[in-house]
Amino acid sequence: MKKNKAFIITFILPCLLSLIIMYLYPIVRTVLMSFFGIESVTSDMSEWSFNGIANYAKIFESPTFQRAMTNMLLIWLVGGIIVLSFALLFAVILTSGIRFKKFFRAAIYLPNIISAVALATMWIQYIYNQDYGMLNQILEALGLEGKRWLGTDMKFWAMLVAFTFGAVGYYMLIFISGIERIPEDLYEAATIDGANKVQQFRSLTLPLLRGIFKTNITFWSVNCITFFLWSKMFAPIHTETATIVPVVYLYDIVFGTQGNVERDAGAGAAVGVTLAVFVAIIYFVMNKVIKDDDLEF
Amino acid sequence: MRKKVLSVLLASVMVTGLVAGCGSGSGGGSDSGSDSSSESAGGEYDGVELTYWSMWSNTEPQGQVLQEAVDAWSAETGASVTIEWRGRDIRNVITSALESQEKIDLFEDGYEMITSAYVDYVADLTSMAEEAGYADQSFAVFNDWATEQAGFLPCITEQPQVGGVFYNQDIFDDAGVEAPTTWTEFLEVCQTLKDAGYAPMALDSAYAAFFFGYHLSRYIGQDATSELATNGGWSGNPLVAQAAQDMIDFVNAGYLADGAPDEFPASQNKMALGDPQAAMVVCANYVTSEVNNTAGEELNWGLFNYPSVEGAADGVDQTAAYTGSNSIAITNYSENQQAAFDLALFITSGEYDQKMADTAGQIPADPSNTAPASQTGTVEALNAAQSSLVWNMGLNANADLQSSIAEVIVRLYEGEFATGEEFAAALDALY
Repeated sequence: MKKNKAFIITFILPCLLSLIIMYLYPIVRTVLMSFFGIESVTSDMSEWSFNGIANYAKIFESPTFQRAMTNMLLIWLVGGIIVLSFALLFAVILTSGIRFKKFFRAAIYLPNIISAVALATMWIQYIYNQDYGMLNQILEALGLEGKRWLGTDMKFWAMLVAFTFGAVGYYMLIFISGIERIPEDLYEAATIDGANKVQQFRSLTLPLLRGIFKTNITFWSVNCITFFLWSKMFAPIHTETATIVPVVYLYDIVFGTQGNVERDAGAGAAVGVTLAVFVAIIYFVMNKVIKDDDLEF
Repeated sequence: MRKKVLSVLLASVMVTGLVAGCGSGSGGGSDSGSDSSSESAGGEYDGVELTYWSMWSNTEPQGQVLQEAVDAWSAETGASVTIEWRGRDIRNVITSALESQEKIDLFEDGYEMITSAYVDYVADLTSMAEEAGYADQSFAVFNDWATEQAGFLPCITEQPQVGGVFYNQDIFDDAGVEAPTTWTEFLEVCQTLKDAGYAPMALDSAYAAFFFGYHLSRYIGQDATSELATNGGWSGNPLVAQAAQDMIDFVNAGYLADGAPDEFPASQNKMALGDPQAAMVVCANYVTSEVNNTAGEELNWGLFNYPSVEGAADGVDQTAAYTGSNSIAITNYSENQQAAFDLALFITSGEYDQKMADTAGQIPADPSNTAPASQTGTVEALNAAQSSLVWNMGLNANADLQSSIAEVIVRLYEGEFATGEEFAAALDALY
């Protein structure tokens, strides 16, 4: 046993050290930074000035951060409902024995393997463009007036639709794996008992997918909280209020922007800690609300 | 026992791998770096090694010319120069590199960052510049601004920028109009262009604040704009409502191109591809290269300074122009500052500056060089600018509200406000 302990320590030590250096230290430093006034993200601790909770007060009082949080919550809620609903619908359809299942599965997943930059460019240039975009072309063909899809009033929703389009396939695959895990004989028994497809979905599939729902909602939440690239693509020159999200706000206040070089790494750290707390809360709530260990099949 | 030896060996390999993986590798250069060294002996800087962090990539025209210039300078002086191609994200990593005094002798970024965020880490170039006669090889407007901000000359201008109204000379000729100097003349030009079947002004929403910032700064000046952006009180200054009303009238007169304010770069591209074609755009000089690249042809570009307005506040300079510059700074801990300075000057003057201007479609940093056709009028504009305006002319002064202010301005061009007072009130509502 003594010999085993030495082995265990010898093998664990490199991993433990890297974990402490690469994960624990940045986390502790970021949490500390969020309580100090710091200009540069890597400035020496001797240059920090204690701020108490002023950084948190600053970001929560900031109308731009409030807007960023509102946008993030809308992406999470509205986008979540759309993405998870479509993902579940497609998963159920694709596992119901339809023909060309593999083709449809690949087609729906395809946007996930295309760079988000290319996808966003496609949406902005080919779909939302006022002059030759697909949407306005369709409207014009119907005799209707084209719309400014990327104007200040529509831009957020345009971005959300484009983002959700690319996100469905990923969650669909997770749902498919969950559905295929459910034993076929349960459905056979339900069929013999006279349950139709809708009843089977409601009384069998949905309850047995609880664990998968938890996984998907957690993944979706983390995805929304770290939302960055699509916001940048829909506001390529400057950050725009319509599409701003907390991570973009964090980026701007830590590194400065064109025309304003002011930097506040302390407030940036406070944003980072706030988002991390959000992730923890969601994980905790999901574990409390959806228990997946009471079902065995 | 054999197992124990094996486990110790394996653990050693893992630890070695970890340490090697975490090493900075500063001695070995980086994957993104390219090394220029000369084997010729007897050069002025034989044995000198410089590290140059560039904001370009080596596939961009600017990066390619830079590489050529550095190669030529290395061959001439015997110095060895390693270029680290950091791209536009240099801003995210340079501060920590400077703070830890990483081996960097020269680096590039916008001069507004060099004079503020990095000012504690850059060398004072004043005496070297005087000795080299740098004043004769550069535009005073950049040196003056940088010196005023930093308290000393902190950088060498590499790629100058100037803002104003860029126009298609062919369209102006066709419509029979000339570059205006006052807002009244400007409106007459717009009407004539419209009557001739052209769209007078292209505007992408990304540059809406730049356009309005120019107009507002003509009325109240940049300092007053910054003050309002920082603390609010827009409705308290009637000239804000006046400036906004001018824009409301401008939009209502139909002088904006169809769909403007559009999503970048859709509207500015209408200067080449629009139907009707747009005649003007308020932007910085890089817009000409962008439009040329999209169109695949050279437009006949012209530039005039933003028009002056009547009824401006006392003392507001009606000739002020936006100026900006990507510049080269030298670290104050570099052991080879003179060599670095000579290299910076080699890049930004003479043959390679001309090549940079021609290849990348930019304003030459050296006034004795010639601007390419796409930059017609820019050198004159820089020489004529008596004072500089920053990006968005003070509207970005409030770091927290700048995007909200910009959104209200886009809404102004979208026609959402009936009066200038409504616009000012919408800005005040942000505070």
